[in-house]
Amino acid sequence: MPNPYIPMLTKVKSIVSENKLRDIKTIELEFKKEEDYKNFDYLPGQFAEISIIGKGECPIGIASSPTEEGTIKFTIKKMGTVTSMFHRSDIGDIIGVRGPLGNGWPMEDMKGKNIVVIGGGFAFSTLRSLVLYVLDDKHRKDYGDLTVIYGNRDSGEVLYQDVLEDWEKRDDINVVLTIDREEEGWKRKVGFVAAIVKEVAPSPDNAVAIICGPPIMIRTAVDELVKIGWKDEQILNSLEMRMKCGIGKCGRCNIGNKYVCIDGPVFSLAELKKLPSEF
Amino acid sequence: MEEKILNKSEIGKLFNDLKEEFIFYAPKKVKGNISFEKISDVNEIELEYLNSKVPPKDVIFPQKETIFEYHYEGKDVIVEERKDLEDKRLIFGIRPCDAYSFNLLEDFFASGDYQDDIFLKKRENTTLIGIGCNKPRQTCFCTSVGGHPYQKESVDVFLSDLGDKYLVETISDKGKELVNKLSWLADAKKEDMEKSKDLAKQAEDSFTTKFNFDLVTKVLDENFENPVWEEIAESCIGCSSCTFLCPTCTCFDVIDENDEYNNRGRRIRIWDTCQSCLYTLETSGHNPRPEKIQRCRNRIMHKFSYYPSNYDCLGCVGCGRCIIACPVNNELRLIIDKILEIENGEKANA
Repeated sequence: MPNPYIPMLTKVKSIVSENKLRDIKTIELEFKKEEDYKNFDYLPGQFAEISIIGKGECPIGIASSPTEEGTIKFTIKKMGTVTSMFHRSDIGDIIGVRGPLGNGWPMEDMKGKNIVVIGGGFAFSTLRSLVLYVLDDKHRKDYGDLTVIYGNRDSGEVLYQDVLEDWEKRDDINVVLTIDREEEGWKRKVGFVAAIVKEVAPSPDNAVAIICGPPIMIRTAVDELVKIGWKDEQILNSLEMRMKCGIGKCGRCNIGNKYVCIDGPVFSLAELKKLPSEF
Repeated sequence: MEEKILNKSEIGKLFNDLKEEFIFYAPKKVKGNISFEKISDVNEIELEYLNSKVPPKDVIFPQKETIFEYHYEGKDVIVEERKDLEDKRLIFGIRPCDAYSFNLLEDFFASGDYQDDIFLKKRENTTLIGIGCNKPRQTCFCTSVGGHPYQKESVDVFLSDLGDKYLVETISDKGKELVNKLSWLADAKKEDMEKSKDLAKQAEDSFTTKFNFDLVTKVLDENFENPVWEEIAESCIGCSSCTFLCPTCTCFDVIDENDEYNNRGRRIRIWDTCQSCLYTLETSGHNPRPEKIQRCRNRIMHKFSYYPSNYDCLGCVGCGRCIIACPVNNELRLIIDKILEIENGEKANA
């Protein structure tokens, strides 16, 4: 097995600025070696440690779907030293990638079930991956109804507008977009995600809910689901945590005896309730 | 007969015979403290010592080490893996507790889907010559964690200090190979073996610190939330001596050391500690363990609750370094006492 600390080298292929505030970019990467791409066999919900060698490394969820062949994409918010360096990178720059890491969404266990995706703000990246995966011709028949509830502060912060438009046109997915306050020209929903969850009231029968977003959104949306009969085992979360190695050795992402990097980042609410509240 | 005798006057001979093949580490006095150092002259070796201040884990898991080196050629990056991982190392004089810690570290770094080759390759190429403890410190408690001052399983060659000479016992195949190189070693006599056994028994009987860790683990598993943690954390100043001097602590940070002027550098790993609030601080400002109480609890839970649940053994070898090092005397023995009081208090109330 190759040394898991050595990054595979990729080149920046394209850069898309995703929002009005211009602090979120999606960077598309192309592996320098064909075999590295072949070995990068990933599932939606997994992440990678990506680095500008010499500047630093950080864990980022994979925004592309394995069904989008040829490249991988990461959506990066400008937050600290390393993410700011990513925002300064240019087409052709070399980016180190270690991964795929983590467990990812349970694509196998979800087969035959209805899927309700609930996302808020910038946390939509691995949800993009999941939805594209399910909508792919090869996989669509494996899953039941697909509902996506995606909320943002305002229309300028809605990520992936190109794919969202495609989804809205399809009849095998129910896309519900919402923003916090009324805006001129906005024809979709207005209101917090929890309120929209209440309105849509997705049925818990033979279904899985996948929730990513700010903690307050997760709490309120989960409350609404529980009120209409959802069980903790049916509700999945993806956690973020400070990480260095991504492979269960550097220590810091532990919650009790679990490590978010190798035992997660995806946990069911039932699993999380068994762990100490240190996340 | 397998057992041999090494006279203390022959240490120089042993060193000379092995120094070409191995990078030779042994206890040495540096600025008043014992540490395991590379030896270039046999007179540097200090044989009258209880144990080193920093555990010898740093021979193969140093405080700071290179993960890889790189240099830029235009926009291109060339990454170079380390080539020194298979250098042969020998640690002379390691104590049984520290040798046991190498087993724990090996299990940890080999566990799961990812092998930490930086550690494992070095470990594989390291030979251990251990020396039994005739005089355990008052702070030692290896017998409470499944160890023994004369535990031999974790080393390749085991020495018993018989005064002016050592009884030499071959433990592993690696050890056999090593002892074969020292063909001049005299055969041991029956009385030497008897003496070694007596010393082992005397050492075992001299322990003053003893814990029932099965009970500790049980109480910890049931008391993640308990006011006792506030009491335990109260005097801690977060200096992290306990974790930096622990032979089983493995946490590290990863940093790029970049030489901007020469377009080259290296990615390193460097010991880190769960006792620092920066350890878990996220870029967003969120911190899962912002308070001292959570950090103190994490260290104790990790060694005595999480470790047993993940690896079926304690994450502690009983060396007592954290007890000696704590500058505010908030040491492990007192912490364990407080934890066990939870159980005793409940019994009294029942």
